[in-house]
Amino acid sequence: MKSWILPAMMMAASPAMADIAYVSNEKDDTLTLIDTDALEVLQTIDVGMRPRGIIFSHDYKYLYICASDSDAVQVLDVATNKIIHNLPSGEDPEQFALHPNNHHLYIANEDDAVVTVVDTEKRDVVAQIDVGVEPEGMAASPDGKWVINTSETTNMLHWIDASTQELVDNTLVDQRPRHVEFTKDGKTVWSSSEIGGTVSIVDVASKAITHTINFKIPGVHRDKIQPVGVKLTNNGKYAFVALGPANHVAVVDAKTYEVLDYLLVGRRVWMLEFANDQKLLLTTNGVSGDVSVIDTDDLKVIKTLKVGRYPWGVAVKP
Amino acid sequence: MSLALNVDSLRYRYQQKWVLDNVNLQLEQGQFYALLGPNGAGKSTLFNLLCQLLQTRDGAIDVAGHSTLKAPRKALAALGIVFQQSTLDLDLTVQQNLEYHASLHGMSSKASKAAIERELARFELIDRKKDSVRSLNGGHRRRVEIARALLHDPAILLLDEASVGLDMPTRDSINQHIRGLCESRGITVLSSTHLVDEVLPEDHLILLHQGKILLDKPCQQALDDEQVGGVKSLYRNLTTSGEAA
Amino acid sequence: MKYWVAFKGIVIREMWRFWHQKARLVSALVRPLLWLVVFAAGFRAALGIAIIPPYDTYITYDVYIMPGLAGIILLFNGMQSSLSMVYDREMGSMKILLTSPLPRPFLLVSKLVAGAIISLLQAYAFFLIAWLLGIEVPLMGYVYAAPALLITALMLGALGLLLSSFIKQLENFAGVMNFVVFPMFFLSSALYPLWKLKESNEWLYWVSAYNPFTHGVELIRFALYESWNPTATWVTLVTTVVFCGVAIWGYDPKRGMQQKKKPSK
Repeated sequence: MKSWILPAMMMAASPAMADIAYVSNEKDDTLTLIDTDALEVLQTIDVGMRPRGIIFSHDYKYLYICASDSDAVQVLDVATNKIIHNLPSGEDPEQFALHPNNHHLYIANEDDAVVTVVDTEKRDVVAQIDVGVEPEGMAASPDGKWVINTSETTNMLHWIDASTQELVDNTLVDQRPRHVEFTKDGKTVWSSSEIGGTVSIVDVASKAITHTINFKIPGVHRDKIQPVGVKLTNNGKYAFVALGPANHVAVVDAKTYEVLDYLLVGRRVWMLEFANDQKLLLTTNGVSGDVSVIDTDDLKVIKTLKVGRYPWGVAVKP
Repeated sequence: MSLALNVDSLRYRYQQKWVLDNVNLQLEQGQFYALLGPNGAGKSTLFNLLCQLLQTRDGAIDVAGHSTLKAPRKALAALGIVFQQSTLDLDLTVQQNLEYHASLHGMSSKASKAAIERELARFELIDRKKDSVRSLNGGHRRRVEIARALLHDPAILLLDEASVGLDMPTRDSINQHIRGLCESRGITVLSSTHLVDEVLPEDHLILLHQGKILLDKPCQQALDDEQVGGVKSLYRNLTTSGEAA
Repeated sequence: MKYWVAFKGIVIREMWRFWHQKARLVSALVRPLLWLVVFAAGFRAALGIAIIPPYDTYITYDVYIMPGLAGIILLFNGMQSSLSMVYDREMGSMKILLTSPLPRPFLLVSKLVAGAIISLLQAYAFFLIAWLLGIEVPLMGYVYAAPALLITALMLGALGLLLSSFIKQLENFAGVMNFVVFPMFFLSSALYPLWKLKESNEWLYWVSAYNPFTHGVELIRFALYESWNPTATWVTLVTTVVFCGVAIWGYDPKRGMQQKKKPSK
């Protein structure tokens, strides 16, 4: 599946202004901003303590940051790149998901086995839902009906009805599920199991596992293959899976679930996000402290940029 | 008439020994000279000096009027050499070997083609042009080497034991070809050998022994002067140390 | 004009001879390809922590050793050419070259360039096979690599010529090859980046850093990735000129080998 053309430098297809990627640096308590056309670091912003999960509001006006050690979700005004206020979040927020309605934030509180639902406009807690032990991954379905949370120790996906904020169903998956991702059509969920070393494909209607993807990289011990971040292309073609200490990103055919290739990136690759109209994929490499840039057409890693220490999450503003 | 080759007081020392000791030669145009001497007499050293593989300041060498010290390249251009050991590329064809040699003498491709045709015709090898040298027998290879040496139309042809290792009929044929060259082309030939029976009475004989020239005159004249019947006896008489020929 | 004809003749002869020895091409390629496949399979994982120029991101080991293996092709062929010169001398073909009326330095440099061209062809054959095995470089890199390969090939050919001047017989040459070729290759950046050598042994690092082969390999590496390494370029150029100079001086019949040779009987 290799393309024959080798670009020396990635040029964005559209001549519009470059996307900016925001990377949270867990140990430095900063965000690194990257120009995705020039592939250069633009600036570094100080934020709260131990920033991990970051996502934009759907209108890209605000950037929400889980500042885990500050026990808060910080709100950054994108126009000024300044923190304007905090949101209540419960203790130790790591990952969260923003409902399509743009004002309900579902936050996983790792230590308390709960998911806290926060209204971003009213800035108060709407609900707290009991889930399994060590909740981590969060995702909201595109139609707004479901919000899924993964609990790492109980190895489950918890299905939350977004209209009633109630836990309705559970699906057992492989060990230590860390991340969930919906397909664009909302019919399927991809869930990565870190210790299990697999990615489970779950049908939303039946809430049952339809397929399991295994990974094997020649020369890399299977214990090192720990899938974490997952990202799917809108055209339904590819799924990318970050494999942690295996230092590779797996490229999966989203239709056949066949692993097509493994791309070498930095050490302990964690989370992924698209940029430049899904032409690029950025990966955060925690241990090596850099971000790798993958060309999604050629399926090649074109550059790796140094950012802060232990980059965790990445969010891209078009 | 200018000399084809003029060697003046040439001496060459190797490891404390004089391999050539006061050698003087004057070779005239269009003549055949047989250089006779046993192994170790210094024949090859002389040839190496003539074609500048060895160098010395002890004496002077002029090839077709060009000094090897002052105009070494012109001197080389006037020489054609056939070495004792075969120097052909076995894997290449006859033509490729000849073309290579021609290019080393700066001959244009047109001139080179014409010269190759001419020489191969003379040695009756035209039909072997595209054959690999490896497929040729010893006699044919020798002929190719002589043809090659003549491509650039040298004034003087040096042959270092040209017929060594060949059988009798082949040797005779080669020797005939060589002697014919002097007549047909006016070329000077200096042919060295250690075999007495290669020297014919009509040749001009030069006898080299232990680095010295013992004789330098037409063979028949030498036979008459020494009052001997054959070159063998002539040789024995002149080499007082009694080394076998 | 004469010079051009002679140069062409010398290059063409080398190419004909190379063509007739196809086994040479195959064995020249088998060695580095074996390394590529075997080593690379073993060292699949990333090449350590630092990303060194000219690379922009993490690379696998087989990508790293590609320029080094191209270098070893040039090294072996450079030595092979000089081996054939020793053979030529023993077989007498060298005499034909040396009795040409053109200046000797010109003839020897022509022979070196001819050998370098053959090296170049072998290197590109290697790149082609590497490409088929999935190891590619940017397209223009293959073009920029040509001068880099040529200079390095010249340097190594000159080294071969230099060695052949002082070696009398074919049998001795093989031994010299072992004392020159393998140390040159292993104590260089061909198989491991210099910073990795520095971590393990300071002495190894210094020897490798001063090894002209390292600079040749780096010159090729940067060229393949459309970049330019000034240090590598200057060191390689200067070393080539020096080696050529000494080699040609060594071939002069007043000194060097020729004089030491006993006059033949």
